[in-house]
Amino acid sequence: MGTAPAQLFPEWLAETFGLPGVLGEVVAALIAAAVVGNIVLAFTGVAGPWAKRKITAAFTDRIAVNRVGPFGLLIIPASAVQLLAKELIVPEGVDRPSWDIAPIILPASALLGFAVIPMGRLGPINFHLADPEVGFALVFAFASIASVSLVMAGYASSNKYSLLGGLRAVAQNLAYEIPLIVTAMSVVIFSGTLQMSGIVGAQTETLVTIAGLDIPAWYAFVNPFAFVLFLTANLAEIGRNPFDIPEAPTEIVAGYQTEYSSAYFVLFYLGEFVHIFLGGAILAVTFLGGASGPGPESIGFIWFVVKLWAFFLFTQWARSALPRVRIDQLIEIGWKGMLVLSFANLVLTAVIVGVIA
Amino acid sequence: MSLERPDTVDDGVPAQTPDELEALLGDLVVGRDDHLNAPGFVIRPDTVQETLSILKEQAGYDHLSVVTAQEYENRYESIYHLKKYDDPTQEVSVVVPADKDDPVSETGEPVFRTADWHEREAYDLIGIEYEGHPDLRRILLPETWQGHPLSMDYDRDRPQIATLPEHANPLQDHHKDDESDTMFLNIGPHHPATHGVLHLKTVLDGEQVVDVEPDIGYLHRSEEQMAQSGTYRHQIMPYPDRWDYISAGLLNEWAYARAAEDLADIEVPEYAQVIRTMGAEMCRIAAHMLALATFALDVNGDFTATFMYAINDRERVQDLLEDLTGQRLMFNYFRLGGVVWDLPEPREEFFSKTRDFLDQLPESVEEYHNLVTSNEIFQMRTIDTGILPPDVAKNYGATGPVARGSGVDYDLRRDDPYGYYDELDWDVVTEDGCDNFSRLLVRMREVEESAKIIEQCVDLLEDWPEDERTIQANVPRTLRPDDDTEIYRAVEGAKGELGIYIRADGTDKPGRFKIRSPCFSNLQTLPEMANGEYIPDVIAALGSLDIVLGEVDR
Repeated sequence: MGTAPAQLFPEWLAETFGLPGVLGEVVAALIAAAVVGNIVLAFTGVAGPWAKRKITAAFTDRIAVNRVGPFGLLIIPASAVQLLAKELIVPEGVDRPSWDIAPIILPASALLGFAVIPMGRLGPINFHLADPEVGFALVFAFASIASVSLVMAGYASSNKYSLLGGLRAVAQNLAYEIPLIVTAMSVVIFSGTLQMSGIVGAQTETLVTIAGLDIPAWYAFVNPFAFVLFLTANLAEIGRNPFDIPEAPTEIVAGYQTEYSSAYFVLFYLGEFVHIFLGGAILAVTFLGGASGPGPESIGFIWFVVKLWAFFLFTQWARSALPRVRIDQLIEIGWKGMLVLSFANLVLTAVIVGVIA
Repeated sequence: MSLERPDTVDDGVPAQTPDELEALLGDLVVGRDDHLNAPGFVIRPDTVQETLSILKEQAGYDHLSVVTAQEYENRYESIYHLKKYDDPTQEVSVVVPADKDDPVSETGEPVFRTADWHEREAYDLIGIEYEGHPDLRRILLPETWQGHPLSMDYDRDRPQIATLPEHANPLQDHHKDDESDTMFLNIGPHHPATHGVLHLKTVLDGEQVVDVEPDIGYLHRSEEQMAQSGTYRHQIMPYPDRWDYISAGLLNEWAYARAAEDLADIEVPEYAQVIRTMGAEMCRIAAHMLALATFALDVNGDFTATFMYAINDRERVQDLLEDLTGQRLMFNYFRLGGVVWDLPEPREEFFSKTRDFLDQLPESVEEYHNLVTSNEIFQMRTIDTGILPPDVAKNYGATGPVARGSGVDYDLRRDDPYGYYDELDWDVVTEDGCDNFSRLLVRMREVEESAKIIEQCVDLLEDWPEDERTIQANVPRTLRPDDDTEIYRAVEGAKGELGIYIRADGTDKPGRFKIRSPCFSNLQTLPEMANGEYIPDVIAALGSLDIVLGEVDR
């Protein structure tokens, strides 16, 4: 890129609408955050009640929702009304208020992650809320708060299935967070910065040109091995098949969600979907060049969204096709396989970068 | 392929004549009560274990099919139906009368583990007490039930309400003491993976299973008693469809048809036998497809594509069965002496539909192998989990794919031929893995064998001369088998040996009608497979047993 870092979304708002001073910055930041948050929530709104059904149906030779509105799209408001209209059942003996807080933490933590994700440009607007120097560390920190929510829910529900689900969530997150972050560190070695815009910027150069086609220096192409490791750890981190064992409906009913109904259930569901999209966003930023793609930079946001949905599609594909691993096998893969491989990758990357640079 | 009887592997255990057996048992035998299918030796109620262990160890009767209990005017009676896994046509019945006023009989559980549940059922429904039984509780009825419903003095009009507080607290026996580090978990009766209303009382140490105890009876519908109040000729046949209701209806109907036809000495026309064979194998494919589908649900998770694929294939068989019988699940297609009607007209259309299905089947099976059995994660999950060694399987009376997955070469279609099976070319499938994977593999390979059988049946039926298409033998309108004739006959159902014991009492209704459910015996092996494994393995083991609660509870 080589140009000055792009103007962030709140700054652009403040400038365009002439919001002066500190107050103007705060207002602009709030508005920008609301816009970005709502975009993400809109994705989950489409993904949860509609896209997920349609995608799974396509994988399993079915049709799925097609009666409510065109392509069944009106199932989205219908499902929303239905879910919110249900009775909130509070079982006896739950540990309040942690039982009430847990379903809020999950979507909140995942949404928080989007604060530092550079989602690319659409026209004049750069969908990027904040670009702190440690943005890359922050996003993992936000993402891993989710497991706190799962443990809280599992413990506070005073249900044995929930407890098992909560415990599984902790074990799983411990086993996969470390390989995830160690693999992410190898990317940092390449880019030399923890700043999100820097990591994305480093991937815009051309790696090789094959038959007149420029292959960008996305880290997925630079280091495919790290990409596969990261993808696997990411699936485990967000708890999707084959690592959906904290929920594992055929084993422990619904894991930590078992006792939740109505709005709380929706919050969990929503949180999981935001989490999937955050996982996709992190993957896109770290390995798939963020918002880069063919065409002018001003449509980068569209490419970013495509990458998010591609990752979502991938998770749904895995869900239809792959068996679930057992908890002890998962831990074994995490600690004995992924951790070793991720450190090997880190050392190798460091050596290569050291030799070349 | 061996169309002839398998050479008895164990040559030290040749067939014994009844007199040789009587000599072997010596003083233990106090009388003879022969059944149509087997010699019956009457013994004293305190010599059950001795008799059974002599028959098991010295005469090779290593398969306790079922324990039938019944009450007569002057006595109670338990019958132990014994067979040999190597040759199930060698049968013997051990008849144990018990005192009318104080029905106590020694338990056979130390000799055959399978007697555990069978004797509990006898105690529950008839009221015979088994001395020395490790756990003589009710099994099908609630703990608080009053009386024994199949005994003679039972008052059927008496209302029985088993309220919740009256139930024993399931947690009671497992209360934590200071040292204990375990958790008690109720899996079911409403749980996504219990395949119906099954309750597993599970004790966990972390994620590992210390103990699991199946609690059954939620779907008990008095099937035996209903059969006892129906007439042989027409009123019983609809019931078998409701035992294993996972589209295995014709297989179940055959169990009753075989027992009743042998009891009343009815010959079934060859043409009808071919139709029966074809229909039964269609049912087996449908049942195994569902077993595969639900097993994938248990191991893969609840949105797996395998489930819908297998259901799609099952749907195609279901369509064929619908064409054949007019029904999709509750076929009621067999009649004593044949089947109710001929193949649907136009016959060519039915044949070509069937052939289409058979042509497409190898492709589907290939797809399942790609999708399921060759998946590394799936193999990781199922190979070497849920181990059931062959000797344990035999001890528990396991049959069907469960036994064959443990390398027990036992299939009544070949070993005790009926229908048209011994005229056709097919193989019995066994796998030696003894694990969840083997049991699934056996079912998938059996589907291909069933397809072979159907194809040969279709060939036969196509060329069958038009004037020889007799679908039913001449059977009297009312059947009254002679008083006190008894018979136990079994067929190879989708889940294993499905047997019926009938005692005729001279009327047109059975005096005692006992169902030997393969699922009942197979489910009893679950603790053997599950203890020490992880929760997901218990679920997988349960799925690999392929139980249908309608047949377990009857």
